[in-house]
Amino acid sequence: MMMDWLIAGAVIMLVAAALSGARFPRVWLALTLAGTATLLATAFWTLGGGAEWDWRSSFAVGGERIHLRLDALSAWFLALVAVVGGGGAVYARGYWPDCEHPASAGRGRTWWSMLVLCMSLVLLCANGLHFLMAWEAFALSAFFLITLERERRETRAAGWLYLAASHAGTLGLFAFFSLLATKTGSWELGPMRDHAELAPLFWVALFGFGVKAGMFPLHIWLPSAHANAPSHVSAIMSGVAIKMGLYGLVRFSGWLPLPAGAGWVVLALGAVSAVLGAAFALAQNDLKRLLAYCSVENMGVILIGLGVALLGTANGDTAWGRLAMAGALLHVWNHGAFKALLFFGAGSVLHATGTREMSRLGGLWRAMPWTASLFAFGSAAISALPPLNGFVSEWLVYLGLFDAAASHTRVAVAIVPATIALGVTGALALAGFVKASAVVFLGAPRTQVAVHAHECGWWMRAPMLALAGICACLALAPAAVWPFISRVLVGWRSAWSGGKPPASLITLGYTHLALAASLTVAAIALWFRSRTNGVRRALTWDCGYALPTARMQYTGGSFAALASGWFGWVLRPERRLHWPRGPFPRQADFVERIPETVLERVIGPVGDAVMVASAWVRQRQQGSLPDYILYLVAALAAMGALVLFGSI
Amino acid sequence: MNDWLNLLIGLAMGLNLVALGTSRLPSLIRVAALQGMVLGIMPLVIEHELRLLAVAVAIATVAIKGLVIPALLRRAMRTANIDRDLHPLIGFLPSLLLGAAGMIGAVVLASRLPLLPEHHESLLVAGSLASVLAGLLLLIGRSKAISQVCGYLILENGIYLFGLLLIHSVPLLVEGGILLDLTVAVFVTGIIVDRIQRAFDSLDTRKLTVLRE
Repeated sequence: MMMDWLIAGAVIMLVAAALSGARFPRVWLALTLAGTATLLATAFWTLGGGAEWDWRSSFAVGGERIHLRLDALSAWFLALVAVVGGGGAVYARGYWPDCEHPASAGRGRTWWSMLVLCMSLVLLCANGLHFLMAWEAFALSAFFLITLERERRETRAAGWLYLAASHAGTLGLFAFFSLLATKTGSWELGPMRDHAELAPLFWVALFGFGVKAGMFPLHIWLPSAHANAPSHVSAIMSGVAIKMGLYGLVRFSGWLPLPAGAGWVVLALGAVSAVLGAAFALAQNDLKRLLAYCSVENMGVILIGLGVALLGTANGDTAWGRLAMAGALLHVWNHGAFKALLFFGAGSVLHATGTREMSRLGGLWRAMPWTASLFAFGSAAISALPPLNGFVSEWLVYLGLFDAAASHTRVAVAIVPATIALGVTGALALAGFVKASAVVFLGAPRTQVAVHAHECGWWMRAPMLALAGICACLALAPAAVWPFISRVLVGWRSAWSGGKPPASLITLGYTHLALAASLTVAAIALWFRSRTNGVRRALTWDCGYALPTARMQYTGGSFAALASGWFGWVLRPERRLHWPRGPFPRQADFVERIPETVLERVIGPVGDAVMVASAWVRQRQQGSLPDYILYLVAALAAMGALVLFGSI
Repeated sequence: MNDWLNLLIGLAMGLNLVALGTSRLPSLIRVAALQGMVLGIMPLVIEHELRLLAVAVAIATVAIKGLVIPALLRRAMRTANIDRDLHPLIGFLPSLLLGAAGMIGAVVLASRLPLLPEHHESLLVAGSLASVLAGLLLLIGRSKAISQVCGYLILENGIYLFGLLLIHSVPLLVEGGILLDLTVAVFVTGIIVDRIQRAFDSLDTRKLTVLRE
């Protein structure tokens, strides 16, 4: 009963927030925070062992009674929605205030509440029809948030691309849910592992949810949408919204029977997404685009975990599958936390300098110490460096992979390459974030905008600090989260019930504590030493050339050139080079652009072909009656031929 | 009796080809009228005993298809002051060949259709399909409004032939309705032809496409 009231209260508060958003920013902030806090409370109540909440309406919407359900898996994702939804609301007050964006700030607040509400409803709906409705509303709210700054051309293009890709995915989901409803005779969702004929539907779901999750070949909308949206929107899109696609995959791989190759395919897609996402991230020059590709990479890591877990279930519910799934789930939280933190940091940089181009930044460390430290903290976490939380979840996935490889089953054939791919991904991600943090924050300012940067206010700093705190908690006390993970695992696969946290997880927690303590001690010692002895100050990316101009510093592009050169076959960088000529060269320049390979080399040409074909068809539509009659006769003849010869 | 019927249908099919091959509008109208009259007397051949209704229908059909509609068309032609379709979209020889091919196809198709046993012997279905095809071919291939109206007439004749299959169950009710529609259509077209002629100084329907939207 209490849960009924809590959830109803959260929904009402979020609706009220959406209504008040345009006019009353303070009321909106209070209502949104209260709503997300309530959602967080319900999520932790369920994760902490509370009974599964199940509610059916007495009235029907669209011919079906509303059926909401909150189990451990939904709660796991709901907690993430609530944290980033609340944090982003606070951040938006500093980042997107009415005085700077009078036209769009109110709109942004309204759609923010709608987005949080719709994502929560997606997680709660246990009826296919209402799931689709909530999904569509969620996609639309995200579209309006992405296009907040719609006077910019790139933003509009990114919004349309997102909308088109999102609807392609939704089309897959329409097919999925209606086929499911046809085959089971009801829109109700729930465990149906005994219907073996439903297995092929997994592929449809993989496409539909994969588009939203930003799986590699389907990620086309993600970089431009994340780069062009306001940063708090990028944070929730990247930290939470793409997790909704993942939620769908996890949810339905738990409920539906699985086709034979499901685990292999998910594992392969995960490995491809991880490696190529990291490679694309490394090659970017746009800070937010780098973070966006990094999301593709992290989704790949999660999908690797999910794929191993699916293989584990197909091989008799092995312990290694359980470990990998636990790693994947924990990485959902981890990535949500540090990716939101990083996007908030990138937003702070963008707010201070007005540019996302890393080659125009540099040396921001002095002007923005808070942002720089928090961004560096997030970078270390996302690069899976111990003692931070990214390492915990990737390490669980690694444990699953190692145990699977050691199990000497047929699975090892796929596991070994996947392990190598995960290792390569880690290295590339680390390189990418060294590049991002160092080029933006270290060295000397490359342009005037970087010189005049200023630190962000407390509205923006507070959510970043909170997220960093969450990252630290997850890093230092991973075993404390284990009961929650364990409940989600049981909900996903009942055979994986019980089980204490793996002994190594507790050890890892202590190791992290020791490591963090010793790092703190070392830092304090270093600080004292530099206080007493003084310290020589020099530029980080100097290479001895920072004079006469800061533009002669080592650039991000040259730092990444070696590693991104290995992936030239897929990155396909477009280079334009004017060599310096003659003894006194006047002009020489070098321009490099990394295209969106999938979009520009695959989807683009296909779209062009469709346009040419459509133009040709349009030419045949000239309003001439004889032509129309001819088409009619031709169609009739074709149908006649089909009837006559088709039956032979 | 079936022999008489088949003879008449064969005549109608021959007239289709004449219509496709001719370039002169008066002869096209004459062919359409002749075909209409041939079709008009068919109910008399089919019916075993002559009843008043059948006779009345036959007389009405012959009168409308053979006399009234051609008269309307001739008047329109005279007002428009043309007598040739000089620039057809499909040439006369190709349309003749296409019509012949369509006729063969119609016969083949009719032999493959699952018909009642009493219709197997007659050419009714084949003739009907051939006339519909010839009518459509005229509609597609001719540019002048009057030849297109003749195409409609021949198309309608094909439908009429098909309706004759049902003469024992639905005595010419559908046919009567279509005939009424068609007469009105021809009447209206006659007026429109006159107006087009005055407005555009031509009857080429291709020029009407500039009116769209």
